[in-house]
Amino acid sequence: MDDLLGDFVAETRETLEALSGEIVAWELAPDDRSRLDAIFRFVHTVKGSCGFLDLPRLEKLSHAAEDVLADCRGDRRRPDAALVSAVLGVIDRIAELTDAIETGAIIPAADDAILIAALQPQETAPADGPAEAAAAASAEDDILAGALAAIAEIGAIAIPDQDEADEPDDAGSEAASEPDIEIEPVAAVPAPAQVTVSAASKPASPAAAAPAPRAVARTIRLPVDLLDRMMAGVSDMVLARNELARRLRESGAESGTEVAFERLSHCIAEMRDSITRTRMARVENLFTALPRMVRDISAELGKQVQLEIDGGDVELDREMIEMIRDPLTHIVRNAIDHGIETPEARIAVNKPASGRLHVSARQVGNQILIEVIDDGKGIDADRLVAKAISVGILSQERAATLSWDRKLELIFEPGLSTAQAVTAISGRGVGMDVVRANVERIGGLVDIESRPGQGLRLTLRVPLTLTIIPALTISCGGQHFAIPRSAIDEIVRIGGDAVRMGELGGARIVFIRGTRLPVVSLGGVLGLGEQGEPTNLVVLKLSGGARYALAVEAVHDHEELVVKPAAPVVMACGIYGGTTLPDNSRPMLLLDVAGVAEKAGVGREEKAEAMAEDGPEDLQEAGAVPVLLFRDLDGIERGIPLALVERIEDCFSGSISNSAGRPRLNIDGRLVPLVSCGAPIIESKVRVLRMRDGPEELAYAIDSVIDIVPVTIELQRSLIPGPVAGVMLVEERPIEFLDAFWLFAQGLGSNTRPDKRPVCLLSDEDPWTRQVLAPLVEGAGYAVIFSEEESAAPADLVIMADGTDHPAELGAGAVLKLRQSMEERGGSADSLWRYDRLGLANELARHWNKRSA
Amino acid sequence: MNDLYLIVEIAGQRAALPAAFVESVVEIEEIAPVPCAPGHVFGLFALRSRVLTVIDTIAALGGDRSEPGEKQAVIVHVDGHLYGLLVDDVDDVIAIEGSPSQPRALLSAGWARYSRGVLEHEGQPLLLIDVAAMIAGPTDLAA
Repeated sequence: MDDLLGDFVAETRETLEALSGEIVAWELAPDDRSRLDAIFRFVHTVKGSCGFLDLPRLEKLSHAAEDVLADCRGDRRRPDAALVSAVLGVIDRIAELTDAIETGAIIPAADDAILIAALQPQETAPADGPAEAAAAASAEDDILAGALAAIAEIGAIAIPDQDEADEPDDAGSEAASEPDIEIEPVAAVPAPAQVTVSAASKPASPAAAAPAPRAVARTIRLPVDLLDRMMAGVSDMVLARNELARRLRESGAESGTEVAFERLSHCIAEMRDSITRTRMARVENLFTALPRMVRDISAELGKQVQLEIDGGDVELDREMIEMIRDPLTHIVRNAIDHGIETPEARIAVNKPASGRLHVSARQVGNQILIEVIDDGKGIDADRLVAKAISVGILSQERAATLSWDRKLELIFEPGLSTAQAVTAISGRGVGMDVVRANVERIGGLVDIESRPGQGLRLTLRVPLTLTIIPALTISCGGQHFAIPRSAIDEIVRIGGDAVRMGELGGARIVFIRGTRLPVVSLGGVLGLGEQGEPTNLVVLKLSGGARYALAVEAVHDHEELVVKPAAPVVMACGIYGGTTLPDNSRPMLLLDVAGVAEKAGVGREEKAEAMAEDGPEDLQEAGAVPVLLFRDLDGIERGIPLALVERIEDCFSGSISNSAGRPRLNIDGRLVPLVSCGAPIIESKVRVLRMRDGPEELAYAIDSVIDIVPVTIELQRSLIPGPVAGVMLVEERPIEFLDAFWLFAQGLGSNTRPDKRPVCLLSDEDPWTRQVLAPLVEGAGYAVIFSEEESAAPADLVIMADGTDHPAELGAGAVLKLRQSMEERGGSADSLWRYDRLGLANELARHWNKRSA
Repeated sequence: MNDLYLIVEIAGQRAALPAAFVESVVEIEEIAPVPCAPGHVFGLFALRSRVLTVIDTIAALGGDRSEPGEKQAVIVHVDGHLYGLLVDDVDDVIAIEGSPSQPRALLSAGWARYSRGVLEHEGQPLLLIDVAAMIAGPTDLAA
C-alpha cells in the first residue's frame, strides 16, 4: 500500500474514532448544529481524499452523505431520525471500506445503493421522530453520559488492541445486515449495548461467514506527549542507574553484581536510543509540500522552475522538522521569487529557460544539512553593501574592510529585510533575519554562498535532535553551567604562551596568537562577582563569525546533555537556552552564547566590526593566512593553509580500502580518495584532513595536528612535483607545505574518464619532458602523447620547447612554449619558464576548461 | 459549582489553590539558583528527571528573599512547565461551593495582584491564588 493511502486509512480511522461520540450524540439530538458540522466536515474530508486517491465507491458514498448534510446545514431539510440512521449507515460503511483498503477484503458494492437511497427523504419517515428522540434523550441522558465516558475510556486503552478488536468485522453478510439495524427508529436505539455498536469499533459484531484475516498493522499513531513521557521515564532510569553506579562503587560490590549492573546499563542505553528514534521522522515530511509550492509560486511569477529533491529518507526529530518548515518554505520562496530569473532573462544570459532548484538533505555527523541551491542570479554582495550604507547600518570605512563573505552576511541584517530593500537589491532580504533567528533557536546555523549570475546556495545546519546536545560544562561563582559545544571555537588557559591579556579603553581584551578578542567575564555578567580568579577563556563564536572570549573559573567536562526549555520566567533573563539535568541530578542551566554577549554589552554587529577590523585585517596586512601545522605519517612536520581543510577527522583504518587503483576512504557511505605522503598506515585509527574543491573531496592521512599559526607563505618551491609544494621556516622550524594542486590532481585525476580527457602532445622527446613534465600534465587531467600518431584525434594542446620550430599542421590545438631560462630575455613573449609550476598549471587548467566547456 | 482546592499558608495568610493545577507537595532541599532571574525565582530543583522552577512566594509578595534550606513546595503545572510554589504550610484539600467573591477589603499590593477573589470556607475567608500571575511575579508590574 502506498504511503498516501496508508495515511488516508490511518487518518480516517482516527477521525472515526474521535467522531464516534459525536455520532451518538447527534443521534440523540439531531438539531445540534455543532455535531452536524463535525460530521459534515468528516464526510467532506473523506470525499476530498477519495477523489484524489481514486476510490470511487467511497467517494460516491461520502458525496451522497455530504449532499444530505449540506441540505440540513442550509435548513433545506430537517434532520429526522431516518436521516440520522441513514447517515450513520453510510459512515459505518465508510469505516468498513477503509478497513477493507488495508486488508484487501471485498465488500459487495450492491447495497451501497440501498444506503444512498436511504438518505433520500422518505414519506414514511415518522413525523414525530425528532421530538421522540429529544424525549428519549432527556430520559436516557445520565445512562448515556456514563456509557459515552466508558466508550471514551475504552477507545483510549484499546489502541494497542485495536487489531484484535476489529478482527471479526467486515464480513460480507454481516455488512449487508447492518444497515437494517441502523434504519430502525431512533427511539429504539439508545440502549448502551447498541451505543457501543455504532461507536465504530464494533467489538460485539459476530464473526459471520468467512471472516477475512486482517493484516496486522505495522504502524501505530501515538500522541507525542506519550513519547515525551517515555523519554522522561528513560531519563529517570538513567539517573537511577547513575545513583546505583555510585553506590556500587562506594560499597565495593562483588564482580557478579557488577556484571549484572553492566547488563542493565546496556539495556537502558539501548532503550534510550530507540526511544530517541521514535521521535524521528523522515525529512520527506518536510519536502512533500515543496513540489506543489514551487509549482504555484513559479506559475504566479511566470517563471519556469525544475525542482530536484534529494535525501528525503534522512531522519530528523519530529519537532525539529516542524521548526524548520517555515524557514525552508521561506528560503524556497525567495529562491524562486528573487533568485531564479524569468525565462526571457535566463535565455538572454545563456541559461536554460527553466531554472533549477535543488533541495537536499544529508546527515553529517551529529548534524543534518539541508541545502537549497538555485541557479538564479545570486546575490550581489556589493549592491548589498551599497544598500546597507544607504540605510545607515554600515559605514563607508567599515564596508571597505569587509570580506566578500562578511558582505554577504549583511543579508541577515534586520534593517535590510524590509520589502523596500528587497526590490531595490537583488532581493533575498525577505525576513532572512527571521529565518536565521528561527534556525539558531534550535541550535542550527545558516550558511550562505553566492555566485553572482550563477546562483545561490543556502545551507541549514541543524542538530539531529532538539533534546540531546553535546555541551561543555564550566563553573563560575561555585555554580555549574553548560555551553553548547557547537558555539565553542577553542579553550585556552590564561597565562599560556599564546594568550596575552590586556586592556583597551577600560574594556578587557585578550590577544590569542595575535588576534584581539573582547573578553566577557561570566561572573560579571551573571552578577556573581569575581569570587575566584578566572583561569580559562572559552572562545565562543557567534553566527556571523564574530567571536569573543568568555572568562570562566573552571572548565569541567564534555557531556551529552538532555536539554529542555526552561520556564518562561527563566528564559526571560535572555541569557539561558534551557535547563538540563546532568547525572548528579542537580539542575544546570545552558547558557545562550548570543544572549550572554548581548548582556555583556557587546552586540552582534559591534563584534562583527571588531572582528573585521582586528582579526583578518591584522593578518591580511602582512599577507598571513592561518596554516595548519601537522606531523605527517612519515614524522615530518608539514603545513597546509587552513582554508583548504574542511575538517579534521579520525577514522578507522578498516574503512580504508584499496580499490580502483588507489586507497579510498569510506566516509558516510561515500568513497573519498585517500592521499598520503606514502608512509604506511599502521595504527588502527588514522587522522585525516578532509579537503574539498567544489564537488570533489579528498582525504589526506596524517599522524597528528600540531597547531594553527598565521604564516606569510613564502615558499622555497620544491622542484619535483609531489605532495610537497615547498618548504619554509615557521617559528624557526622548517615546515614542508603540501601542494594542494598535486593532491587534488592525484586524488581526482583518475576520476576523469580517459576518453574524455583532452589530449596534450609533448613534442620534445627528452628525459625531462618524459619524466618531469609528463606527470604534471597528466596530473592536470590530460592524456599525454609524445607523437601525433599515438592519438586519432588532434591534440588539444601542444607543449614544446621554445625555439624549436614546429610543423604548422600541428596547429589544431593551442601551443604552449617552454623556455629554459627564468628571465624572459631571449624567449618568445608568450613562453613560460619551464619550472614555472604555477604558470604552467594555470595554462593547463585554462586549456582543460576550454576544452571541457 | 463544587470545586476542589488545596488550602495552604503563605506568609501567614491562609489561601486556596485550585486543585486542578496541583500535582503534588514535596520537600525541597538543595536548589540551583538562577543568576539574573527576577527576585521571586528561587531556583531550579530536580524532581526525579524533571526540572522545577521554584517560585519564592514571599519575595513575589514583596517580602525578602527566602533563605536557602529545607522548604515545602506545592508542585503546579502551568502551560507545560512545572513550578514549585514555596509555602509555609499545607493544610488540606477541601471542596468549596460557589464562585469567588470580591474581597471587600484593601489587600496589600502583592495579594491584590495574585488573588482572584475570596472563598468562604467554614466561615473563614480564603484568598484564591492566581497561580499564573504568581509565577509571572511582580516583574510585569513594572513593565
